[in-house]
Amino acid sequence: MKSSVARWMYKRPKFRLVALLAAPTLWLVVAYLGALGALLVTAFFTIDSFTGDVVAQFNLGNFQDMLTDPAYRNVVLRTLGIALSVTLICATFAIPMAFFMAKIAKPRNQKILVALVLTPLWASYLVKIYAWRSMLEPRTGVIDWVLGPIGIRSPGFGGPAIVIGLSYLWLPYMILPIYAGLERLPNSLLDASGDLGAGNFYTFRRVILPLIFPSLVAGSMFTFSLSLGDYITAQIIGGKLQMLGNVVYQNFSINLPFAATIATIPVAIMAIYLWLVRRTGALASL
Amino acid sequence: MSQTLRKTLEFISVVEPASVIVSIRNLSRTFGSVKAVDGVNLDIYSGEFLTLLGPSGSGKTTVLRMIAGFEKPDSGTIELGGRDVSQLPPYERDVNTVFQDYALFPHMDVISNIGYGLRVAGVAKEERIARTEKALEQVRLTGYGDRKPAELSGGQRQRVALARALVNRPSVLLLDEPLGALDLKLREQMQIELKELQREVGITFIFVTHDQEEALTMSDRIAVFNLGNIEQLGTPREVYENPQSPFVSEFVGQTNKITMDGRQINIRPEFITVSKSAERGDRIVKGKLHDAIFVGATTRYLVDTELGESIISTDPSGLLDVGDDVVLSWESEKEFLVK
Amino acid sequence: MRKKRLFSQIAVASAIALVLASCSSSDKKASETTLPKVEMMKSLGAGEGQVNIVAWAGYVENGSNDPKVDWVTGFEKETGCKVNVKVGSTSDEMVALMKTGEYDVVSASGDASLRLIYGGDVAPVNTALVPNYADIFADLKNQQWNSVDGVAYGIPHGRGANLLAYRTDIVNPAPTSWGAVFDANSPYKGRITAYDSPIYIADAALYLMKTQPDLGIKYPYALDQKQFDAAVALLKVQKPLIGEYWGDYLKHVASLKSGGTVLGTTWQVNINLAQSEGVKVEGIKPVEGSTGWSDTWMISSKAKNPNCAYKWMNSIVSPESNAAVAEWFGEAPSNAKACDLTSDKNFCTTYHAAEATYWNDVYYWNTATEACLDGRKDVKCVPYSEWVKAWSSLRNA
Repeated sequence: MKSSVARWMYKRPKFRLVALLAAPTLWLVVAYLGALGALLVTAFFTIDSFTGDVVAQFNLGNFQDMLTDPAYRNVVLRTLGIALSVTLICATFAIPMAFFMAKIAKPRNQKILVALVLTPLWASYLVKIYAWRSMLEPRTGVIDWVLGPIGIRSPGFGGPAIVIGLSYLWLPYMILPIYAGLERLPNSLLDASGDLGAGNFYTFRRVILPLIFPSLVAGSMFTFSLSLGDYITAQIIGGKLQMLGNVVYQNFSINLPFAATIATIPVAIMAIYLWLVRRTGALASL
Repeated sequence: MSQTLRKTLEFISVVEPASVIVSIRNLSRTFGSVKAVDGVNLDIYSGEFLTLLGPSGSGKTTVLRMIAGFEKPDSGTIELGGRDVSQLPPYERDVNTVFQDYALFPHMDVISNIGYGLRVAGVAKEERIARTEKALEQVRLTGYGDRKPAELSGGQRQRVALARALVNRPSVLLLDEPLGALDLKLREQMQIELKELQREVGITFIFVTHDQEEALTMSDRIAVFNLGNIEQLGTPREVYENPQSPFVSEFVGQTNKITMDGRQINIRPEFITVSKSAERGDRIVKGKLHDAIFVGATTRYLVDTELGESIISTDPSGLLDVGDDVVLSWESEKEFLVK
Repeated sequence: MRKKRLFSQIAVASAIALVLASCSSSDKKASETTLPKVEMMKSLGAGEGQVNIVAWAGYVENGSNDPKVDWVTGFEKETGCKVNVKVGSTSDEMVALMKTGEYDVVSASGDASLRLIYGGDVAPVNTALVPNYADIFADLKNQQWNSVDGVAYGIPHGRGANLLAYRTDIVNPAPTSWGAVFDANSPYKGRITAYDSPIYIADAALYLMKTQPDLGIKYPYALDQKQFDAAVALLKVQKPLIGEYWGDYLKHVASLKSGGTVLGTTWQVNINLAQSEGVKVEGIKPVEGSTGWSDTWMISSKAKNPNCAYKWMNSIVSPESNAAVAEWFGEAPSNAKACDLTSDKNFCTTYHAAEATYWNDVYYWNTATEACLDGRKDVKCVPYSEWVKAWSSLRNA
């Protein structure tokens, strides 16, 4: 039985291909593109001003509101700023950490370090952010309590707190691709650069950085997009500061079409980001 | 100083006045519990082609990497042109390396790869371009400047790696098994090219290999490594014809060890003639042809002898069939003793 | 290349299909304010075994927060209806939850109830099927926010005022006016909180009503454009003072406890929770009066468990449960008989349950509409949807 089915399949490569791709295609079209399409369509609807029911009537009012109200321009710029800062900070911390893991640590310790980097991912997102809340709490928080006596004060809840929290959350997503990239990088290239007279910084700039650039881009896609869409961190340690995700969260129960309109912004930003990344050619070598 | 070394000195001094460019003293390096290099002493002369020959794990590569500065010695010194460099980082040493995997920068084209060292050194653009072009010409790759390493064949990459090192005009060029990844034909061709190039540029080459044939072909002198130390240092001829230890005699070339008249005799297979009747030489042993193994240019004849041992010969006389009664003969002066 | 084109064609096709599907499925016209016809329950049958409730925090307690605070277990035993509760943080969230049709009952405040009624999301309530309805204070029945044209849409649950909370050990002197949270030079700058919902605009309007008579505000939920702008402007002045806006009551209590928040609007239940954890905090109704709520239990027009829902509505306003909820949440009960059953015999006096004059300056949450709720005919008022936009804009600026 089994073998005859296998033989039948073997003679029909097209059928095999269809069978293989049916589920992922269905998923892509229905769940992924479908949801995205529904989002885009809803953005052009409106609501009944009294009951709050969604009214399927095409209009551009939501986009008009979004583009004319300076509040939304601010929140877009603020969110972009946070996402970029988080990405930069993650890269700054991840590169030396990944370098140590991949090139300096003994092979046995490498595995331990990778495991350690992964450990925080096992803890709940909320637990970690609430932990940061108690760290950053002004006056009574851990930072003020421990570091206050030496003059270091918590930045309190707000933009810096969000950047710290998100950087902490997404750091592993930056370390791992860079670590993988550095592991692929032959040690002999580093030796060769030094051999040709380059100091460590020169080697980093001219050899390491260009070669791990695709990994950096891969990591940045995580840190950037995850930050761009986040709202819970802002809710918990952002004080009164809101990010794009908060606007969506704030509006989706009251004015779903407007929330959908706002939600198109991160989609657009990510599209532009990917387009820029594509132009650098980093995607090709991923 | 050993007798061999003195002999070598005389040999070198015929070519040019010998001056020591690399002087290694009591060099040691341990990895974990393994003594990779164990008290090596070695003087390398300006302009010579010196090969560090040995099996893997014998310490030859570690010595090379310590000269380059990629590894730091646990003890001992390395002097380069009279200056102790053993604690300096690679970028402060006037040596360049050709790596086993070539280590070309994959994101740079050939020109940038070759010009890397010059750029680091701050050489002006015009001079950089001129020197890079000349180096390309030297390794016969003119016109390949804008290719990426991935677009080159193994042999071409090898030459780029050479050019990248040589363009900096180092006082010493280190080559870490650079021909290992090439196929036999290309390897033999590159051996000749390398040797010619070395004569042309006059730079000291320190060449690491585990291939004894390669070492014999190219070197002015060979240092045979075993277990972290140098077993023998000498010209290829000295090492081949007069190995100073059982290890060297077996590692360099093939050796028949025969017990005759109560003492051990060592003789290379190519000096033994195998024939139906005694042909030449004062030594004669009878036997039966056990096997004939065709290996291309030669055939290896395995003979079961009256001494109860098998002897290998590569010098046949006349047509022989397996099972024939044969006579082995050689000149006793070709025999060598091993201490 | 060919594959790429195929994928984009599929994407476009599915998008078009979605547009068509969503257009045809909801043919409702915009700004439809006629009352949808929803059938009323005629008689009760057997329970369905469960009931799904959307409620304010503290309204549905099964002893898990405090073993002594439990009116759910008894109900479940008695009726066989298992209670599943979803706590809503704001009226807007509750409205959204009820629109899903997944829930049977909701404790709707005045700013949600009318939206639910006119959205066709809740059904009229047959008060004859709720025996305890008879004991409810008359001044809570058939009000603007829980009935339409004399038809009851819910069972009154209780009422309370939004209080001004302050940490007694930090805020000195004790505040008496809402001015404390609108004072640009407040010494507690950065440690003041406000309720994170568009309805909070009414709090600013109430303060202006009392302090700037020139604006002519008569009712905080009936604001013409000028009055509305003034209220929003006041909130913009307030924003730099705010450390955090609160929506999640647990986070709010934690913040009062840590001292991150020392002053701001709250509910009595939050003060009770904080005090039970030893926080030195008090809540007052300031001299201007305050906004507040009068909540109503309503039944979904799509209720899957209507019998259990009716049983729940009857049970939660029973004298025993109503007394327990009122005491736990810190609000005035709606059932007159509940006052005899509170553990604190003065409770109803403290919370002014039967004292009509106390409620004179408490303005229950209501949904602002274009037709001014204060009866003015010469101007249009700013509808709640605009409050939502203004609040969103204020929060994100």
